[in-house]
Amino acid sequence: MASLRELQQSFAAAIFANDHQFAAHIRSAGGLRGEQRLSIYRNNTQANFTDALRITYPVVDRLVGDGFFRYAAVQYLAQHPSASGDLQEFGGSFPEFLETFEAAAQLPYLADVARLELAQEQVFYAAEGDFLDTVALSRVPQERYGELRFILNPASRLLSSTFPILRIWQVNQEGYHGDQSVDLNAGGVELLVIRQRNMDVEIQNLSAGDCALLRALRDGQDFATACEQAMTAQPDFDIPAGFRRHVAQGALVGFSL
Amino acid sequence: MLSKPTMSGLGPNPIPARAGVGLRSGHYREMLETLPPVGWLEAHPENFFAVGGKHLHYLEQLRAHYPLSLHGVGLSIGSTDPLNTRHLDKLKRLIERFEPALVSEHVSWGSVNGRYFNDLLPLPYTEEALAHMVTRVSQIQDYLGRAILVENVSSYLQYESSTIPEWEFVAALAERAGCGLLLDVNNIYVNACNHDFDASTYVRAIPAGLVQEIHLAGFTVNTVADRSILIDTHSRPVCDDVWSLYRQTVQHLGAAVPTLIEWDSDLPPLDVLVGEARHADALLDECHGLPA
Repeated sequence: MASLRELQQSFAAAIFANDHQFAAHIRSAGGLRGEQRLSIYRNNTQANFTDALRITYPVVDRLVGDGFFRYAAVQYLAQHPSASGDLQEFGGSFPEFLETFEAAAQLPYLADVARLELAQEQVFYAAEGDFLDTVALSRVPQERYGELRFILNPASRLLSSTFPILRIWQVNQEGYHGDQSVDLNAGGVELLVIRQRNMDVEIQNLSAGDCALLRALRDGQDFATACEQAMTAQPDFDIPAGFRRHVAQGALVGFSL
Repeated sequence: MLSKPTMSGLGPNPIPARAGVGLRSGHYREMLETLPPVGWLEAHPENFFAVGGKHLHYLEQLRAHYPLSLHGVGLSIGSTDPLNTRHLDKLKRLIERFEPALVSEHVSWGSVNGRYFNDLLPLPYTEEALAHMVTRVSQIQDYLGRAILVENVSSYLQYESSTIPEWEFVAALAERAGCGLLLDVNNIYVNACNHDFDASTYVRAIPAGLVQEIHLAGFTVNTVADRSILIDTHSRPVCDDVWSLYRQTVQHLGAAVPTLIEWDSDLPPLDVLVGEARHADALLDECHGLPA
């Protein structure tokens, strides 16, 4: 008789690799053969994983349609097995998967749309950031501003795409009834996905200057280097105004000298 | 008799012996605004494993108004892989933070060789599986430093190797591991239909003292090769047959037991869910009289 472990391994092979040996361990009863009973589990399992992906990637689902999404989910699960009892952790590599997914080659923006949806989920579940201590910051002597390093809000993500993914995302929101057209040649976007104090997740279009500034700070550059990069990216960028805006909206949550 | 004393939710803020409802994100806001008259809430800990965000924010606030039970779905107790201590650590942190009166999981497995099904798969009901479950439940209770409840699951197949009736298996597990039972009356009904046994036999075989919580839910009926199979979807109201079995269960237990209405997909308006809880309360009251 098969041990419990052998039985479990055989069950997994039946569900994930369509192995037929496990059916022999199932009682044929009530007019159903083992293989038919097993198919109930196979369908349930696949449906659970597909639904989990759908929850994280609703716009991808809308863009490709139900049949295609299910097909993609089957392929994804085969390449990226779930490694956690927390279903929330499933699906984090879906954007990278879509990047090289042959069947989606006609939709070159799809992976970036998925990245935007994943970023929103990550921000939704991220840790609480502190409030930037503006009193302590105001005590820093002006001649040392350039040496400051800032900490970005853990509930924020910077994202860039060569496609107008924010527009694509917006026109595919439930309840959107405006103009559906998207000009794929409209150019790329730099986005900040950030959780507001009321816990809602917001997507902001960033100017080239804002983006360069936040990217440099996120990567641990000092304030002088970040400002230089912002001015290079956008010569007319108003650094004091941009900086104040990011402090005010909580994009920066800490600093060190 | 139990080999070890079990905890019956008598810590601070215990679960009352009346109906509660499952906490789902679609109801957070309305629940907090209206504070519906249900006895307690039950949440899936996995939904709160994240380090921050809205879910934790709402649970924190709702916890101030209701007794809480944490009902895990991802621990994969019956797996022959080593226990997932990363998962257990997260559960333990959540228990420390929210102080639930009850913590429960399932008599099932859901992973092997590190690969997860994220599903509640049935075990073969054998002496080997029973011994394995007893060891694992004991390890979990030691790790968490508290007793847990284990729940009977729905199933769509039976193993050739099973030698013990499911009701004997779950009762023996609770007795040997010193844990409590969370008796899911809907799952008993679903299995009785799927595997052609008498649901009353199951209920009568469960020693009353082991049961510390009851679950009720709705199922859907699928057709496989012209045969109806009941699938435990938690997507519908509790059906009349399950209400009858519930009444019979409560009478058999001889005392009112905390009873949860579970509803996970096709989530109804909150008042429908609360209505189901009221119905359970009425049956508890009819059988034993509600506690003051």
